[in-house]
Amino acid sequence: MIEVRNINKSFNNVPALKDISCVFHPGEVNLVIGRSGSGKTVLLKTIVGLHHPDSGDILFNGRNFVTMTNYERQHIRREIGMLFQGGALFDWATVEENVRFPLDFFTNWTKLEKNQRVEFCLERVNLSHAAKLKPSEISGGMQKRVAIARAIALNPKYLFCDEPNSGLDPQTATVIDDLILEITKEYNITTVVNTHDLNSVLAVGERIVFIYQGEKWWEGNRESILQAHNAELREYLYASEVLKKSGLLK
Amino acid sequence: MNFFYLAGQYFVFLRRVFAKPEKQKLYLRNILTELWNLGVGSLGIVVIISAFIGAVITLQTAYNVTSPLFPLFLIGLGTRDSMILEFSSTIVSLILAGKVGSSIAGEIGTMRVTEQIDALEIMGVNSASFLIMPKIVAMVLIAPVLNILSVFIGIFGGFLTIEATAVIPTEDFLYGLTVEFIPFYVTYSLIKSVVFSFIITSVSSFQGYYVKGGSLEVGRAGTRAVVYSSILILIFNLILTQLLLA
Repeated sequence: MIEVRNINKSFNNVPALKDISCVFHPGEVNLVIGRSGSGKTVLLKTIVGLHHPDSGDILFNGRNFVTMTNYERQHIRREIGMLFQGGALFDWATVEENVRFPLDFFTNWTKLEKNQRVEFCLERVNLSHAAKLKPSEISGGMQKRVAIARAIALNPKYLFCDEPNSGLDPQTATVIDDLILEITKEYNITTVVNTHDLNSVLAVGERIVFIYQGEKWWEGNRESILQAHNAELREYLYASEVLKKSGLLK
Repeated sequence: MNFFYLAGQYFVFLRRVFAKPEKQKLYLRNILTELWNLGVGSLGIVVIISAFIGAVITLQTAYNVTSPLFPLFLIGLGTRDSMILEFSSTIVSLILAGKVGSSIAGEIGTMRVTEQIDALEIMGVNSASFLIMPKIVAMVLIAPVLNILSVFIGIFGGFLTIEATAVIPTEDFLYGLTVEFIPFYVTYSLIKSVVFSFIITSVSSFQGYYVKGGSLEVGRAGTRAVVYSSILILIFNLILTQLLLA
């Protein structure tokens, strides 16, 4: 479980996150939604330690990530898998070398054990056939799947996904959403996904946090979001023609 | 103020770069890769430039010697010492600052803007050490080799020019290469090439590592890497010459 308590973060005195508190549970896909520039990515990067919060606490199963030493933080980071918006695959390495990288770095496994794990992870994302290719030789959707395979290589307890569907067609986006949901359930991972894709919201949003101008405005799930009365949230949802025309919005 | 901030940030960065490696085997593999990329990759340009500069130094000296009192063997001596003292260490380093420096800043900068460095950090890898230390170590190891190679190629270029143009007798040129040889000049030259290669790789990596923005900023970081490395090379050339030859 991840607990975010009263997080504040500003850049050059411009507040990006204002007193945000929320809880992300294991075995669930927790979505952080909001318009571009609302602070979703800053929140995600602050939780994983790429930004240091101005104030507040972040607890990973009760361990305070903000106040712990660098050494302790390194250990928590090894329990984290992250899927970046652009994939962030190492372009010097092949697909299988990308997945093998955390195993080479953090395990003392034999070559055979590592090979088996890499094969398993690539199979899990249906990319065994692309093992020898470089990231530049595969499509955007495949890159995202490789990034997921790399993120789960070390059996993470926490999975963070920053805009996993950006730049993908709706069908490929569904494949990525399903994969994230399956992996979350299969390994009981605490998954946090940043998205502004309303298809994802309805498909995998078991717990949803809506952020508006750096503040948390609403919290709920995919069932309650359609009945929500929050004005900013409704404005956000009404931007989707599909949702409007489907008659789902009450 | 900005200068002091940058200098402080540079030394903090170096501290991270030279932190104890987490997985030495992977670092060793990276050093070997960088030896190939940076060292062998620079071989061509070093050979071509050294050969032509050696030839030109020889010809310029020969054509400017008009006094019959000037011993002709001094042309060989001049070529040798010019190559050892200045060209093969300083000028080759300036050329490498352009080639290697912009390449390193571009590579590291692109990794920064495509979030590859963030990905390493989130995994718990010291990205500065993992990506940059092998480059610095490889370049510091290969630079003296390139330096010595450049000296020999430059002198050989001079020799071929003498053979081709017969501007002075070959015997005089060869005698000049052996006379009044001061071994410390080689040490001085090697020290300079080691210091300059450290400057090139560390400054260029520093520029790339802290890139913010997109491709435009990566390009600017490449330019800054070359400019700052070149200026520092010239400053340290002066300092080292005063310290070592005074």
